[in-house]
Amino acid sequence: MKNSQLYKGSLNTIIMKLLEENGKMYGYEITQKVKGITQGELNITEGALYPALHKLEAEGLLDVEIEKVDNRMRKYYKLTESGQKETVNRLSELEDFIRNMQSLVNPNPKLEF
Amino acid sequence: MKLTAQQIDQLYLFTRQHYVEWYDLQTELVDHLANAIETEWEQNPKLTFDEVLNKEFRKFGVFGFMDVVESRQAALGKKYNRLVFNHFKAFFRVPKILLTIGVTFLLFKILKTSMYNNYIFIAICISYFGFIFFEFYKIKKIRKIQKETSKKKWLFEEIINQYGVSSGAFSVPFYFFIQISSRAERYLLNDYWLFSVSLMLVLFGILNYILFKIIPSKTREYLLETYPEYKLEKL
Repeated sequence: MKNSQLYKGSLNTIIMKLLEENGKMYGYEITQKVKGITQGELNITEGALYPALHKLEAEGLLDVEIEKVDNRMRKYYKLTESGQKETVNRLSELEDFIRNMQSLVNPNPKLEF
Repeated sequence: MKLTAQQIDQLYLFTRQHYVEWYDLQTELVDHLANAIETEWEQNPKLTFDEVLNKEFRKFGVFGFMDVVESRQAALGKKYNRLVFNHFKAFFRVPKILLTIGVTFLLFKILKTSMYNNYIFIAICISYFGFIFFEFYKIKKIRKIQKETSKKKWLFEEIINQYGVSSGAFSVPFYFFIQISSRAERYLLNDYWLFSVSLMLVLFGILNYILFKIIPSKTREYLLETYPEYKLEKL
């Protein structure tokens, strides 16, 4: 992942936000979606994505579904009810974080306008 | 271009060769690799299957699938502990709490009134570990058969079958039994200590019962709940 230290803490929230928007998704789809939205800027590595998904699943925030696609089985992840509530909390936390970081990095943005 | 059934089998073999023994994890990784290979082929159709596979595998980092395996083990380990804890709690709620209290008092009474309480205690210890070894032997046999028949392995099933033996069921009670028997006069002659010892014995008994009887008897139920694909495989 690009500059992993900065993005690491937000990975779970990114996953949950994507699932909130798209309903159910499978692992590879998530990596491609993030790549697409950020125009290749952010690349979630496989070694980080699956541990995050498994952890969220174990915490009861995600549920899984299996479908047979082509010659293989595909595991889909979707938010549980508590996962949906938690997504709202985490997103507002992340937004606060972004706002605070913006004011710290750019203390007087009004001057720019 | 879509992957053939034979290439999917090759991917399963590839995950096994890279130390992913469990079917549930293999399935997820196989689908991931298959998607990645198909996408790559759209851009570079001239690359061979092995070339693309190795390229995609490198993206998992120097430890290969290990991070994924370890995180899955940790997540399911936590799930198992929660399961044990929930069953344990049930023994402290009505109606099971009556049984817990009843047995504790009965044991306390026996140890208090009997002249041979030291021997009774030792007999309890022996039967406790005898039971564990017997269960351990049974698990070993099942695993051997599983290996010979190359039955699909499920990570959560493996955790259910081996966790108790390695952690709580063995080391803590062992230390406790050694402590008590080495200072029998102190622990078995004083009422408060004797009651604590009785309670501890009952708690260990409950834990054993959960680890070796309750949870294994519901393995199928827990596997179905954890793995939707378990149902598909067993049809």
